[in-house]
Amino acid sequence: MAGVGLIFFPAFDWCITPDHPEREERLLYTRDQIQEEGILDLPQFREYRPRMAAEKEIQRAHVFVPSLRAHITESHLIAAGGAIAAADLVMGGKEERACALVRPPGHHAMRVVHGQRGFCLVNNEAVMVEHIRQKLGPEARIAIVDTDVHHGDGTQDIYYNDPNVLHISLHQDGRTLYPGTGFLSERGGPGAYGLTVNIPLPPGTGDEGILAVMESLVLPILKDFQPDLVINGAGQDNHFTDPLANMQVTAQGYARLTELLKPDIVVLEGGYAVEGALPYVNLGILLALAGLDYSHVIEPDLTRYNLRQNQAVTETIAYLIDSVGEQWAQRREADLEGIFGSGDFFQRNRMIYYDTAGITESQRSGIRLCSTCAGWERIETRSDRFREMTCAVLLPWNCCSKCRSEAEAEYEEAAFSRRFRKVALHDPQKDHFTELRK
Amino acid sequence: MYTIGIDVGGTNTDGALLFGHDMLAVVKVPTDHEDLVGSTRAALEQLLRSCPAGAEIELQLSTTLTTNTIVEGKGTPTAAVVIPGPGLNLDQCGLDLPFHVLSGYVDHRGRVIADIKADQAVDAALEAKRQGAEALAIVGKFSQRNPRLETAAAQAIRGAGLEFSYITLGHEIAARLGFPRRVVTAYLNSQVAAAQERFIRAVQELEEFRTIRILKADGGTMTLAQSRQRPIETILSGPAASVMAALALTRYTEHNVAVVDIGGTTTDLAVVVGGLPVYERDGAVIAGYPTAVPAVYSRSIGLGGDSEVHLTVEEGRASFTLGPKRAGKPACLGGAHVTPTDAISALRLAEVGNREQAVAALQAFASPHGLSWQEAAQGIVDAFVHQLCQAIHAVYDELEGRPVYTLAEFLEKPELMPQVIACLGTPAPAIMPAVGEKLGLPVEILPCSASANAIGSAAARPTTGITLHADTALGQMSIPEMGLFKEIERPALFDQRRARREALERLVEYARQSGLDEVPELDIVAEEAFNIVRGFRTVGRIFHIGAQIRPGARRIRVKEGT
Repeated sequence: MAGVGLIFFPAFDWCITPDHPEREERLLYTRDQIQEEGILDLPQFREYRPRMAAEKEIQRAHVFVPSLRAHITESHLIAAGGAIAAADLVMGGKEERACALVRPPGHHAMRVVHGQRGFCLVNNEAVMVEHIRQKLGPEARIAIVDTDVHHGDGTQDIYYNDPNVLHISLHQDGRTLYPGTGFLSERGGPGAYGLTVNIPLPPGTGDEGILAVMESLVLPILKDFQPDLVINGAGQDNHFTDPLANMQVTAQGYARLTELLKPDIVVLEGGYAVEGALPYVNLGILLALAGLDYSHVIEPDLTRYNLRQNQAVTETIAYLIDSVGEQWAQRREADLEGIFGSGDFFQRNRMIYYDTAGITESQRSGIRLCSTCAGWERIETRSDRFREMTCAVLLPWNCCSKCRSEAEAEYEEAAFSRRFRKVALHDPQKDHFTELRK
Repeated sequence: MYTIGIDVGGTNTDGALLFGHDMLAVVKVPTDHEDLVGSTRAALEQLLRSCPAGAEIELQLSTTLTTNTIVEGKGTPTAAVVIPGPGLNLDQCGLDLPFHVLSGYVDHRGRVIADIKADQAVDAALEAKRQGAEALAIVGKFSQRNPRLETAAAQAIRGAGLEFSYITLGHEIAARLGFPRRVVTAYLNSQVAAAQERFIRAVQELEEFRTIRILKADGGTMTLAQSRQRPIETILSGPAASVMAALALTRYTEHNVAVVDIGGTTTDLAVVVGGLPVYERDGAVIAGYPTAVPAVYSRSIGLGGDSEVHLTVEEGRASFTLGPKRAGKPACLGGAHVTPTDAISALRLAEVGNREQAVAALQAFASPHGLSWQEAAQGIVDAFVHQLCQAIHAVYDELEGRPVYTLAEFLEKPELMPQVIACLGTPAPAIMPAVGEKLGLPVEILPCSASANAIGSAAARPTTGITLHADTALGQMSIPEMGLFKEIERPALFDQRRARREALERLVEYARQSGLDEVPELDIVAEEAFNIVRGFRTVGRIFHIGAQIRPGARRIRVKEGT
């Protein structure tokens, strides 16, 4: 019987710092609950070992400054490798769905990595998605639905200009929560406009609100996009007891959300109410994935909270559903020239703050406006930690020959330029990733 | 000191007599299913003839009593009273037993979130009684972290004057996490308790022994008193005995060993790493019931000397597959079927039965397919070797794939792969050299194969283990195996070293209670420590420590001609 494959790697001997939310204890009570429930004895579940991601597999999604080895720990490699192992279970037909409960999380890690942001260093989902695409080929259409309470800005960054990856992030409004982004106006680059979908929910959103968004917005968008695989970045910090956010979702809400979404692969993201939420939310998600009854999964604290969703919140959500739905429906009619200009490149200058590592990165990027493919991208980056300039040249998955020759020429030039200490060329079509440190 | 090991198996009862490390005699008598004690007595009487009168003897017994009681459904009618709290819907647990649900629950830290209602417990017990239950199991989720609700339910039921022949409480029988397995284990324990009690009484009347010990599924022994409380642990002692025999007899005492026991119907595979047996991760499975009973890892495949032989010919190529069912008695032993044993006999790989009958049967089997008897015999032996190699690979794949939860375990994976194959069973000398060649491993044929289970029973030593769980934020610690649940004195000072010391001291105490005069080597087999951080402050620590007496078997020397 095809069922749910569980990859569980709680890294009981790894932490950012001993009292950090991302610490050894985080999945302890989840492990205890899962084992005590005995669900792994049910015919619907099987547990598998993660593996270690190879450096190259990580590099498919990232440009590390100054180098991957300067940052990476084994736990990162196993978390990313756990996500890959989960994907392989599904792609290999061994399991119908898979769930990687691994730590540390990944969705705040962007394409360029100077250090840890939002407890993340390696974007586990992006590493997994790139692995999947190397197997399924460039035409594979993948949808990532990020249900962590924080905006999935790292994953958004990596797939901002990728026409075959739909990134939907549901999160608490960036005006009230880290990382402070994820607004309706962030809709994707010139080659993938409209395929970044942000749904910034008001603080106080509960089961009612998040499920309304799923049913009336996310599911119709997915139906329209017709993905080959649906991936759920399952952060659990929308929970009413989470210490870092202000939402009111329950384990029942998360389970129902999972049941509606029917993701092929679930990858754990954040969630820091380690005792009151995670054991119950994880159990609810696993039961829902397997199609089992989750109605008895109830948090002990539930009766102590008044979780009725405020009327103003309900109205804001109704408005959001309309606006985002309309944006999706009209994404093809958008005035791209008005948004991205009529020059050769769409230029962006950004300051990116790494809260966990305490680094500020300044980044200048340009995406080639191309009518044939998504356009190649050039990134210049430095930070107050790594002051010397790095240049990355990224080819899109559907790179046209013109863009390829331009990008390769650009890389050659950067490689000889004395401005850059490090240059990188990413070529997913050939699965070739070159880095040069001078 | 003399030791007698007796294994009351499905077909035969085997006995072995040891003096110290030396084996003096083995016997074999047929098992009488209606009278297991009688079978034991028959084997004993023969062995006692080799003992001087008045000698001090210890008896170690392995029986199929509890296994059969469960498999044949002959136990005491039993019902479970469960306290599941929130979580998985119990109807979806696949619990194939009558159960009655109480409200109330304990959380993962062992805090009572809601108490039980005494009248509900009494009603459940009355209902169970009305449906015919004579014994009970009372099991709560996370009861090994806090048994209060189980105890309260039992008190309420006893207080109401309801009589049951046996009541098992979950925390007394299964210290590991896993509520459904705990329910099943407690349920089966109550079911077999009466049968075990009758057996023990009869055994005690047999002879004067210095000690009588019973073999457990984990290959260790326990006292009669312990077997009264936890009879369920005596299930599946047969496969455990065969692993113990391999440990007792092998020359490779410190090595990684694959243990292959080839029987008539099945072949059992077990794994030894660094001289110690590998255990089941969650517990033994019996008659389809997953339990929490600690058990030696053992996989049984439907391949043996009497297996069915299937031949398919495709595009002129003949291919043989064997098993999984038993065909019957081999032709060379007067049976009607071609079996692997006949191939072994015909090819003169071993002297078994009447070779001419084997050849004739093979000829009759092979000629309609255009094969000679030699080709058929070789094909059967090759298939046996091939299927056995595949099964050995599958066992190691499964073990290598066992999940681990720490970087340390992930990075420093212990080497499991075997350095040698130790074999038991009559067909082993004929088959195993080819298996060893194929796997690139040396093969050791162990002596006295026919009495292996009795030798294993005699060689087994007491095993005992405890799991200590301490939560210094709540100021509580528990060792469910000892029924110990107490406050930690001065929890702020209770650190990892103290937790470890506490575990080892308690283990010594527990070993003494278990009838061990001298305490052998102790091992910490699992250790976890966590900071409990709330609001960026460390408010306490959780320690989880598993400690056990190092398992193992007494070494046995077999003299030529025994």
